[in-house]
Amino acid sequence: MKKITKEIIERIEGEATLELEWEDAKIHFARIKFFNFRGIENILKDRPVYDAIAITPRVCGICSTSHALTATLAIESCYADFGEPLHVSQKAKDIREITLNVEKIQNHIKWFYFSILPELKKISNPKFTPNAFKDKEWFDAQKTIIESLKLSSIFSGQWPHGSFLMSGGVTCDPLKSDIVQAEHSLHTIISFCESYLYGMHIEEFLDIDSSLQIMVSDSSLKRSIEVMMKHGFDSSGRSYDRFLALGESFLYDHASKCVKTTVLPADIRHVAESLENSFFDKEGKGYTYSKSALYKKNYFEVGPLARLMMAKDPLIRDLHRRFKDSTLTRIVARVCECAHLLQRTRVLLTQLDIGEPSYIKPKSNLNYLTGEGVGIVEASRGTLIHKLSVKNGFIKEYDIITPTVWNLGNGTTENPSIVQKAILGLPSIEKADFIFKSFDVCSVCTTQ
Amino acid sequence: MSKAKSSIVWLQGLTCNGNSHSFLNYSHMESFASSFDMLYHPLLLGDTSFDAILQSDTPFDFLILEGALSRDEDIIRKFGYPFHKVLDELASRARYIICAGSCASFGGIFRLKDEAKITGALFSGKSRGGYWSEKSNVINIPGCPVHPAWLIDTLFLLKREAKVSLDEFLRPKEIFSYLTHHGCLRNEYFEWKVDSKQLGEKEGCLFYEYGCQGPMTHANCNKILWNGVGSKTRAGSPCLGCTEFDFPKMKLYETQTNMSLPQTPFGISKRAYYSLAGIAKSFKIERLERKLIDEKDN
Repeated sequence: MKKITKEIIERIEGEATLELEWEDAKIHFARIKFFNFRGIENILKDRPVYDAIAITPRVCGICSTSHALTATLAIESCYADFGEPLHVSQKAKDIREITLNVEKIQNHIKWFYFSILPELKKISNPKFTPNAFKDKEWFDAQKTIIESLKLSSIFSGQWPHGSFLMSGGVTCDPLKSDIVQAEHSLHTIISFCESYLYGMHIEEFLDIDSSLQIMVSDSSLKRSIEVMMKHGFDSSGRSYDRFLALGESFLYDHASKCVKTTVLPADIRHVAESLENSFFDKEGKGYTYSKSALYKKNYFEVGPLARLMMAKDPLIRDLHRRFKDSTLTRIVARVCECAHLLQRTRVLLTQLDIGEPSYIKPKSNLNYLTGEGVGIVEASRGTLIHKLSVKNGFIKEYDIITPTVWNLGNGTTENPSIVQKAILGLPSIEKADFIFKSFDVCSVCTTQ
Repeated sequence: MSKAKSSIVWLQGLTCNGNSHSFLNYSHMESFASSFDMLYHPLLLGDTSFDAILQSDTPFDFLILEGALSRDEDIIRKFGYPFHKVLDELASRARYIICAGSCASFGGIFRLKDEAKITGALFSGKSRGGYWSEKSNVINIPGCPVHPAWLIDTLFLLKREAKVSLDEFLRPKEIFSYLTHHGCLRNEYFEWKVDSKQLGEKEGCLFYEYGCQGPMTHANCNKILWNGVGSKTRAGSPCLGCTEFDFPKMKLYETQTNMSLPQTPFGISKRAYYSLAGIAKSFKIERLERKLIDEKDN
């Protein structure tokens, strides 16, 4: 028997509607609808090129640093196209990476403690109604998030929507004592994660090569895995087992794709956007403001799981061997990446050489800057791309491909997108809702 | 409404969620939670579903609006309903309507997409008349994003029935009578007209070359600081004027001049400002030309 239901997905970044087609009490197809179009790409047209660094963060409050950095890189690439490759000091590169890492750390903690854990509590006990303001764990996580963003703001001035990035470097010029303060904040974040999230030191956690080792810890991660195993999330939520990470990361050497377990180099030239099924589609059959992004005409999953598959992280590879790209693997990957980011940020703060210049001014006159540029960043949810073309210092075209567009595109019954495939065949909306959230959905990014 | 908890419904229009994330940066959240019930917030799990709140007719204390507003159903819908149905229903039951951030206050960045259809609650940019033409219980707390303390301090004051004086743009005077310029660590460079030579340095004022709006922007950023530690100018970046009705101006990183003279600071006449600036500029202050910390002195 066929029927169609509409379900609103709340408590994600923004809001989405899932229109589900049921057949024999199982999900046969899912249309994902986002209604909140703001038109930032149009707003940027004919504005001075540097305005993009201030305006694109407003695509998304939770990944504002990622957008500002991607815009900055895109403009730097435009300078290179114009004939002046910009030199960015190691100090500026390190500060950019520190703030980007911290943005991902707060994101992963927020997602795990504010979304995943309460959802799992509901799944364990359907009568339970989680209430953030009555939950000690929520307040503890919130304090850790505050500490992460304090660390960022030492460099970025504020979060969200700090503006400290500029093509040619960063605008901040920290003192040695600022770095000490940043290290204190990092210490506080790591303590929380070790005590509650991992139940062990992050070094020990990063040495784990078998998922069984997590199960002997006393941690929120372990408890969440138990609930997921009990409710079948180790075998559900699988998609194509195809991954992509086009931005740079300390986790791997170069832009790559991964099909099952084979990692191969990837190139942005194979990326294409599809307007199919969106309101932008000229045929008028669209039902959402979200575009779709494809690599060589195929859907690829982006995000922490993709990055750790490229990195051949032993723990994630072990989970992948057992459970493939299931909800469980995807969720543990995000938590695992947080540990990598904490360790990496500690190293970056130690090695930060404040004696170098923060910013090296481009020599070209901005009023003549003409060319095309592309910026790619691995944001919390995956590969983020900004492309622009500039004429005499003004933006002619601006195009943004956000991570959620990769994961939550709208395909067809024959060729479903990553998340569409992940929820096919499920028996209940509750399961679909949780699997949807395992991607850390950001609807505001999607409908920029 | 002072003793019992006050109730809040948080509703989003066209938004980036930035004000919600800024709210989550509030450092005394447990104290806040002991005085306020968040009946609904889009990112927080609560006891009540949005539909239950919408279907009930119980009044509540604060409707917090985040994001630009529109009556056009093609631009925004909420939970399957036309947005205006949701907003009008909730607004009729709220004692106060608090616009959190510049989008809800003035329309903000997203208003630029369609200025006729996308506005703030009571303003469209500078003009009075936005989503509503008039309403007596609206308070604007602009900023892109709003500072969590601006929002929560105001909620506490209203809860205590304290008088909250507002300026002509309905902004609380305790916050918005200050300028971003107040407390800026580069003030001395401004006084003596020493420009920033280039970005990425602690020295120099960003007002003359890099578009800093600090002396014209109403906000106490450099008094209370962001995330407990920073501000744009402390990170070496110009104030973008994000609490004002005309945010975002064009050329955010470039000082706009008239006959090669920059705009004068808020409330200072051209004659006063340019006379003083001319005198200050005629002196060369050696100390201000040097690096703040000169490693070579050691």
